[in-house]
Amino acid sequence: MDKNFLVIENISKSFGDNKVLENINLNISKSEFFGLLGSSGSGKTTLLRILGGFEKPDTGRVILDGTDITNLEPFDRPLNYMFQSYALFPHLNVFNNLAFGIKENFTQKEIEINVRNIAELLSIEDLLNRRIKQLSGGEQQRVALGRCLIKKPKLLLLDEPLAALDKKLRSKTQLELTTLQKKLKITFVFVTHDQEEAMSLSDRMAIMKNGLILECSSPEEIYENPKSLYTANFIGIANIIEIYKKDENFYSDDLGINFKLNKELKNTKTNILLRPEKIKIQSINNLKTSSFNSFSGEILEKSYLGSFTRYEIKIKNMIISVLDQNFNSSSNYNFPKGEKVICSWESESIKVLED
Amino acid sequence: MKNKLFEKYFVFSPYFWLVLFFFIPLAIIFKISISVSEWGMPPYQDIFLFDNGFKINTTFENYVYIFSDYYYIGSFVNSLILALISTFFCLLIGFPLAFYIATSNIRLRNILLVLVVIPFWSSFLLRVYAWKIILQNNGILNVILLNLGIISEPLQLLYNQYAVIMGIVYTYLPLMILPLYGYLNKFDLNLIEASKDLGLNRIKTFFKVILPLSVPGIVAGSLLVFIPVVGEFIIPEMLGGSDRLYYGKILWEEFFVNRNWPGASALAFSGIIILVLPIVIFQLLYSRWSQKNEI
Repeated sequence: MDKNFLVIENISKSFGDNKVLENINLNISKSEFFGLLGSSGSGKTTLLRILGGFEKPDTGRVILDGTDITNLEPFDRPLNYMFQSYALFPHLNVFNNLAFGIKENFTQKEIEINVRNIAELLSIEDLLNRRIKQLSGGEQQRVALGRCLIKKPKLLLLDEPLAALDKKLRSKTQLELTTLQKKLKITFVFVTHDQEEAMSLSDRMAIMKNGLILECSSPEEIYENPKSLYTANFIGIANIIEIYKKDENFYSDDLGINFKLNKELKNTKTNILLRPEKIKIQSINNLKTSSFNSFSGEILEKSYLGSFTRYEIKIKNMIISVLDQNFNSSSNYNFPKGEKVICSWESESIKVLED
Repeated sequence: MKNKLFEKYFVFSPYFWLVLFFFIPLAIIFKISISVSEWGMPPYQDIFLFDNGFKINTTFENYVYIFSDYYYIGSFVNSLILALISTFFCLLIGFPLAFYIATSNIRLRNILLVLVVIPFWSSFLLRVYAWKIILQNNGILNVILLNLGIISEPLQLLYNQYAVIMGIVYTYLPLMILPLYGYLNKFDLNLIEASKDLGLNRIKTFFKVILPLSVPGIVAGSLLVFIPVVGEFIIPEMLGGSDRLYYGKILWEEFFVNRNWPGASALAFSGIIILVLPIVIFQLLYSRWSQKNEI
């Protein structure tokens, strides 16, 4: 596998005084499904537009499959861009939208075969004679995708590919998109502000903030071992606890308890991350509180989520979120509001946020 | 209840306007056009006579007269050609301008729009007269060209059909730009980017995406220029020469110089029918087409 299929080198971009991207470096492999995740204003869309050729970077280079494409016009780049709004041509029907990019290089017969094939791949064969306005959001998304894929691009850029779809359709399309990508082996780079979308689609993803890449890794790695406070908070639910060294162990003033870490720290004071599903919750009658990695608290809020119940547990000055899997089928398994419970966790579950 | 009634009449007010200032005058013109002309005031006979019982006194001779003389038909054809050429140049200049205005940022856009409209704040006659000063033999343009040594004697820039076309394009350009801007303003710029992304260069993108989607604006702007230019009287009168006669001038002369009201009315009425009928048919066909294509 070519590790350096798409190389983004020292890309910076400003709009006036506003620095949108600062020295971005990324290497993306061939056939990788790569996500750029960030909130609005993080520069993720500008980076995607630079890859598409719609913006010129102030500095840096973009190299695709060994060729420097930094100064190529969009129509000379061997890649395609799927717009968030889909940007389908309202004056053409579905067939002609799909055929738009291949009309010049193929005969009528070849165009027809290509369009049929792509329509079959995306199961939109029945829509070919429809006008764009007669399509649902999901159908438009498929046509937009098909219009790009018919060109057999080396790289497909997707701007918020699922944002315009409703929730139910989104999860279905998510699955279809990953299946399609694995089947076609085309490199996908997409932009999203939705962390769940990024996690479920990406092979690897980059977290962006204020024009910088904070972290770039697999979704599992970023979720389990985030390097920064921002990432830990941005991805999933996070309990962030400040601890400092006290004798042999670490102590949290907010919780009033000791922590035992299984690794040494550089600093005497740091933030730790405790994911809510790593915390075990037990009835106070079953157990005595241990001297570390455990606390007793009162259930302040609970929300039943079907497969999980989310508790907000108050202890001293802090509220800790806990996700408890609903293992038993009995409905009175859940702890009621106001009940005192004991929470505990393994030392390995504590992630130190060094930055 | 009262409000409902008001709303009802308010909706119909454009039709009252149309009846009052278009259909009634048109009916009067038609009535005069089928009257028998005579010397007097008014210079035509009544169409209903009651002297010896009721008698209808109409004639179609005025129509026969204007259609049998190429002098009249020729002037109409000249005006149509003038309107076509002027509309073409207005479109050629107006489209890029409108597109540029529609795609520039909001501050620049407002400044440019004001610049387009500013000429309307001064008198139309003054503006056309200003062109006379620029183009005449000892005018600004000739003086500059003479002093620069580009020409050795003044060019005859005024009093020909080119001066007329220039004056009309200058005057009617805002009427082309504004409706075009109205449509292009709503244009989704992502469509242009999508077209480029799919491999079409700027020129192909223009013909495959921008132009087809601008058709409503082009039609609106072109009609707004074309129709009034056919009857334009003042610009050919002030900037034009005797090389070409235009419909508006002939009409004026027929009314006020020859005092042939029935003949002039027949000319005016024929002009309206010849001009309006095809445009109405075109509009009907076009609105059907655009509905089908959902532009």
